[in-house]
Amino acid sequence: MTGLLNSQKEAFVDEVLCLVSLKLFTTPHYCRPLSMYLAKLSSVGSISDEETCEKLRGLIQRQVQICKRNVEVMEAVRRGAQLAIDECQYQFRNRRWNCSTLDTVPVFGKVITQGTREAAFVYAISAASVAFAVTRACSSGELEKCGCDRNVHGTSPEGFQWSGCSDNIAYGVAFSQSFVDVRERSKGQLSNRALMNLHNNEAGRKAILGHMRVECKCHGVSGSCEVKTCWKAMPPFRKVGNVIKEKFDGATEVEQRKVGTTKVLVPRNSQFKPHTDEDLVYLDPSPDFCEHDPRTPGMLGTVGRYCNKTSKAIDGCELMCCGRGFHTEEVEVVDRCSCKFHWCCYVKCKQCRKMVEMHTCR
Amino acid sequence: MAGAIIENMSTKKLVIVGLILLLFQAFSFMVGGLIAPSPTTAVHYLATKCVDSVKAHHQGKKWFMPWGPYQCDKIRDFDEAMAKRIEANNIVFAVHIPLPNKEMSPWFQFMLVILQFDIAFKMYNQIQEGAVATLDVGLAYRDSTLSKWTEMAHSVEKRKLNCNFTTTKTVENEGRYYECDLLPFMELGSVSHKYYLLNIRLPVSERKNLNVGIGEIKDIRLVGIHQNGGFTKVWFAMKTFLTPSILIIMIWYWRRITMMSRPPVLLEKVIFALGISMTFINIPVEWFSIGFDWTWMLLFGDIRQGVFYAMLLSFWIIFCGEHLMDQSERNRLSVYWKQVGPIVFGSFCLFIFDMCERGVQLTNPFYSIWASDVGTELAMAFIIVAGICACLYFLFLCFMVFQVFRNISGKRSSLPAMTKARRLHYEGLIFRFKFLMLVTLACAAMTVIFFIVSQVNEGHWHWGDYTVQVNSAFFTGIYGMWNLYVFALMFLYAPSHKRYGDEQSSAGTCYCGDQGGNSGEDIQLTTTITHVDGPTEVYKMMGKESQE
Repeated sequence: MTGLLNSQKEAFVDEVLCLVSLKLFTTPHYCRPLSMYLAKLSSVGSISDEETCEKLRGLIQRQVQICKRNVEVMEAVRRGAQLAIDECQYQFRNRRWNCSTLDTVPVFGKVITQGTREAAFVYAISAASVAFAVTRACSSGELEKCGCDRNVHGTSPEGFQWSGCSDNIAYGVAFSQSFVDVRERSKGQLSNRALMNLHNNEAGRKAILGHMRVECKCHGVSGSCEVKTCWKAMPPFRKVGNVIKEKFDGATEVEQRKVGTTKVLVPRNSQFKPHTDEDLVYLDPSPDFCEHDPRTPGMLGTVGRYCNKTSKAIDGCELMCCGRGFHTEEVEVVDRCSCKFHWCCYVKCKQCRKMVEMHTCR
Repeated sequence: MAGAIIENMSTKKLVIVGLILLLFQAFSFMVGGLIAPSPTTAVHYLATKCVDSVKAHHQGKKWFMPWGPYQCDKIRDFDEAMAKRIEANNIVFAVHIPLPNKEMSPWFQFMLVILQFDIAFKMYNQIQEGAVATLDVGLAYRDSTLSKWTEMAHSVEKRKLNCNFTTTKTVENEGRYYECDLLPFMELGSVSHKYYLLNIRLPVSERKNLNVGIGEIKDIRLVGIHQNGGFTKVWFAMKTFLTPSILIIMIWYWRRITMMSRPPVLLEKVIFALGISMTFINIPVEWFSIGFDWTWMLLFGDIRQGVFYAMLLSFWIIFCGEHLMDQSERNRLSVYWKQVGPIVFGSFCLFIFDMCERGVQLTNPFYSIWASDVGTELAMAFIIVAGICACLYFLFLCFMVFQVFRNISGKRSSLPAMTKARRLHYEGLIFRFKFLMLVTLACAAMTVIFFIVSQVNEGHWHWGDYTVQVNSAFFTGIYGMWNLYVFALMFLYAPSHKRYGDEQSSAGTCYCGDQGGNSGEDIQLTTTITHVDGPTEVYKMMGKESQE
């Protein structure tokens, strides 16, 4: 039964990927979210012509083709990647692994090369962010195809004037599916890591789709609800981040099993109830992220991290510093106070100084 | 109103007529469900943040394009604006309707735009209590991608921000968005141009207390709603088809009435008026909106619907009243002032409200009565008064229906004791009333059920390869249904003009012996029955008998 469902799903999203695996790295199923590379390119300037696609490091051949065919979308993809990194860092600000990026090409270092929970989160948030950013770009008129593109399912064949276009989110999600998932798909036989990545990518997109807000407007006679138009509005990305973070906390450890001819991921502990499409799954337990490991880029350890003395949670000094203890120093913090704001671009504040106790891990 | 066709028709013919009407009914549902697309479309727009860098440009009425050739200097977010030292007053939110590579069309009939602010929570820059956003908005149009923008409207509007923050207001939650109510922004009664451009500014002035304390705005999102071109075409086709059908039956009906020896009674006039108001709705004047820029079409449509509803409600009251059978003289509209009064008054209130909203929008498309406190109170007052009128009306109606049923059961018991003519007269009344009651209840139930289904449902169902547009089916089906209702009413309740001779030939049963005695009965009836029509009474009696 599960196998059947899974194969159907595969056929459905048939050109999907694991965001990124790089030729730079050797392991075959060595996937890292592609957008993470694109984000690094923000210094390159805009991705404006087809030639830039060739120069993008980290794209596989089929992605370069998609890039060339959709150059206008790539700018949005890049923005989405940045969004994913920002959101990841926000969600993980209090954890031992705080989603810190490196200046090297795999921005998260080797931390997410294993099939850990963290990797699951990064894949999910990247797939979601690409869908989110592309949808936004559609709404602001930057892209020309979007909801009326016939390549995207759910379009009305009669065109805009007869029946309007489908929602932009359909295009955003479909683009994320084709561009992000193509990495995993392109390798032919799906490894278990590819299966995990595909699942998490889809879970990330579901975090948007499942939390679309339905809004309605009545506009019948005298504004009565005789005629009512409803539409789905995308949740703010912070909300998407929160949802995926919750899924991260409740992620299921899985292993690959063969059902018939297809490979599927099933919970390692058969006592647990099987994961749904919205849940995150991972294959390997996470390291403790306590110590700096020079052999593993991105494994920075928690030395020097601030911690919360009073908290018993992961941001508390006890857990954050892995029992190594912490320094406490009194620092003078210059804070803004009694500020005057405009809705944009104008803040006038006084500076208030106060002494704060800061705790840093040894 | 004695001797209507419905009583003289044989059951077989009645069933045939009913089946034909049902067929048309099914057809009208199918037209909407299978041919038409969904009635309206909502398109999302995200405003582009343009920078009005050169002051001189501003004086020369410059329009800011979000994309395409001659697009404005854009900024991605306001951190960028902060870094570039751009002030809030120099930021213009630009939205081009429609999205690239599309064109608007007069078939869209109307366009309304909803505004939504994305406001991020900041510990030290929260939305103040009762904050009001002041928007300086301009709307321009053009009909080719190369021509210049022509201003259509310009206005300074105030909108009350109704936002709440669902999580705790702590530093941790900074950056989450407030949940804000949708704000009505713009309403156009016709879409006669291909391209529209909106430029929105949020001018800040601490001295005038403009746009202060509205939080940190991240984005402005708009939702544009318009009728689907396909739906408009199907709708027009339906109207064009229905107009002559109702018109013809109306003329036929009136001819029948004028052919009679007596002047028309109130009920007959009311049915005719119902026909007129139905035709008034049906006449497809909307065809003109394709060629002309008639922005008042939306308002006119509201008025037409209002007239029909008022007429239909009045008809029900008068129909009940005329079938009360309590021997008192009615047949005058003034008798019904208590019941019709609330209808007229309620409709008038809604009319005033509509004029205040859509009427003002003819001159200023950004106007909304809900935007100001006084306006909101006024609007609510109108709606509440109209609501009270509606309640009052339904109380009257229910009471009247109750009275009729009470009288019917009273008459029932005394029926066998009556003379034949009287008995047939009452039986005719009871039959007519029950028939209409049944049909009306069925129609009303259909309307309510479909209304609920269309409200709850997501808008379309899939049956195999077919997609059924439930909302469109609701509109065309219900519209068709009330048309058929009025049609059937005029057809079945028209006075029958079967004469003695016809009657006897078609009756089949012999009544020879009875005819002599009738004249005496008639005289008796005229004294007790409101509007007796000598000969009709007799043939009605015979017709009734013949059916039995």
